[in-house]
Amino acid sequence: MNVIETRGLTRRYKDQLALDDVNLDIAPNRIYGLLGRNGAGKTTLMSILTAQGFASSGEVRVFGGNPFENEQILSRLCFVRESQKYPDDFTIRNALDAASLFFPNWDAPLADRLLEDFQLPNPKKHRIKKLSRGQLSAVGVIIGLASRAELTFFDEPYLGLDAVARQLFYDRLLTDFADHPRTIILSSHLIDEVANLLEHVIVIDRGRIVMDDEVEAITGSAFAVAGKSTVVEEFVAGRPVLRREGLGALASVTVDAPLQAGDRERAESLGLELAPVSLQQLIIRRTLKANERFGSPAAADTNVEVAR
Amino acid sequence: MIDDSKPIFQQIAERIEGDILDGVLPEEGQVPSTNEFAAFYRINPATAAKGVNLLVEKGLLYKRRGIGMFVAPGARETVLAKRQDQFYRQYVQPLHSEARKLGIGVEELTALIHRSAAEHEGTPAP
Amino acid sequence: MNRAWAVARMQMVNKWIYLGVPAIVLVASTGLALAILAVIPNDDGATRLAFSGQALMWYFLAIGVQSMMLAFPFSQAMSVSRRSFYLGTLGLYTALSMAVGVIYWLLGLAEQATDGWGVDGHIFALPWIAESPWFAQILLYFALTILLFMFGFWFATVYQRWRVLGLVASLTAFGLLILGGVAVATWTDSWPAVGAWFVQLTPLALTGWLLLAGVVLAAGSYGTLRRATP
Repeated sequence: MNVIETRGLTRRYKDQLALDDVNLDIAPNRIYGLLGRNGAGKTTLMSILTAQGFASSGEVRVFGGNPFENEQILSRLCFVRESQKYPDDFTIRNALDAASLFFPNWDAPLADRLLEDFQLPNPKKHRIKKLSRGQLSAVGVIIGLASRAELTFFDEPYLGLDAVARQLFYDRLLTDFADHPRTIILSSHLIDEVANLLEHVIVIDRGRIVMDDEVEAITGSAFAVAGKSTVVEEFVAGRPVLRREGLGALASVTVDAPLQAGDRERAESLGLELAPVSLQQLIIRRTLKANERFGSPAAADTNVEVAR
Repeated sequence: MIDDSKPIFQQIAERIEGDILDGVLPEEGQVPSTNEFAAFYRINPATAAKGVNLLVEKGLLYKRRGIGMFVAPGARETVLAKRQDQFYRQYVQPLHSEARKLGIGVEELTALIHRSAAEHEGTPAP
Repeated sequence: MNRAWAVARMQMVNKWIYLGVPAIVLVASTGLALAILAVIPNDDGATRLAFSGQALMWYFLAIGVQSMMLAFPFSQAMSVSRRSFYLGTLGLYTALSMAVGVIYWLLGLAEQATDGWGVDGHIFALPWIAESPWFAQILLYFALTILLFMFGFWFATVYQRWRVLGLVASLTAFGLLILGGVAVATWTDSWPAVGAWFVQLTPLALTGWLLLAGVVLAAGSYGTLRRATP
């Protein structure tokens, strides 16, 4: 049975559509990536799925029912938003103690280990409102992980975290997920950074779901071929081209179709190099105008590709 | 560790094959669990499982119920044969065709290989 | 019900806000009032009233606002239903308000036993109220406290649901209502009648009216909270 099902989910703010006819089926015990630019509708969607927000129209089913005011369903999920508010003067310890009251699978030793991992200041003394952006993110991450909720949302959990702390989060998420499989929905606009963690990707752009597929299926549905431009052009003739780049007599072409049988051998004999396209590249090329920035600048990747 | 050159599950499978070849994973020896692979390479456990299953399909690994995954007897031989075949296609064939472009004949190429071997003399093979 | 209880416990996690600060407010305001009474000469031994007792009640208005603005969004992240949050929060503050009522009554007894803390001061045993039976005194203080809490809670709920625009609109409406009442009383020359009504009011009847207002605000808060977002 699906953990989440939505049909025709729409959210309207005055004259703006924040969500536009969203239909999703989320299967249990997988790590999903909810990817999209800032303001694409990620947080709005997660808010509605957790009954923290309301849809203008459409249907939401979580664990088979409507989560609104449904304690049985709500107690099985956890959504700490990126801009989460905490009661005034709450210390880190206060927040964790409170969380232990509400999440049936709360793992207090895990929360304590994570406190040390993220090197948060003395949890009994330090007030949450005095924390830095990164430390605040860390508190949200700790609650999310230690809740062990069957359905856990992470809302851009890396904000303000340095590279070490982000890697730490990804590591802890993977190991804990492996030991305690559950449904994880990780919202992010840093695609490359989370791509390897994900099994399934949902891309949202201006309130619409523009991609909803397994990571393998997405990355396997395109490839890049590089080499002498005349040879490359001959190789890609008749195939849908997503992008073309050249440097002198060399060319690199991204083909928006899977490799055919015999392609590898042919490329090898022609002296062409085949490479998969990164998830981030594909998402940018397929769903967004290439000149728009999407997370870490696409331009940087392009340069690397040309230099090859 | 993991790059974009190939699908991740394939890279995992190749790494395990490499470990079988090197003897890091001896025949009949236990292979780390998919969760351990996932944590080590920082990838989704389902992807790691796909890589491992690829080797199960090839008969290089086998499953013992409730215990885990083990290297199949004869696995090293199979990997070796596959790698030798790959070596021929990935290195020897391009070497030969490149040599032809440069006007280097087969005898001359053989001589070059001998020279390279001589230069490496004294350095123990890895 | 289980989770409503947990909400009450969540609000009590930081005991400082809910027990420590109120205690300080009570002690400080009373101490200040007594200090002032002590330095003012009172040669004729007359009864002197100090209304410092209301300080604690205004604090309840502040925590009414705070429990909505900050505890509610947090409770949402704790996967608590709005109903459980409402029941738990209201239950907790009803109990605390009741505690305030009992404490004020006890302090009133102490005040009378010590001749107004030795300075003829009347802070808790105010004449009109102190004449009532003990339960009426407790109920009146309870009603005042919970009403102020509900007042803060309701306006904060309006803000949480309709943000600034809703808050401004409801505050304006509230102001207009008061003004309208005053205007009507003036135009119909009914101020004497209003005065007479207040004079005949017993503490118990006043308590009834305060509680009625509290119940209206409580019902309004729940209706508003049902669709509020963090």
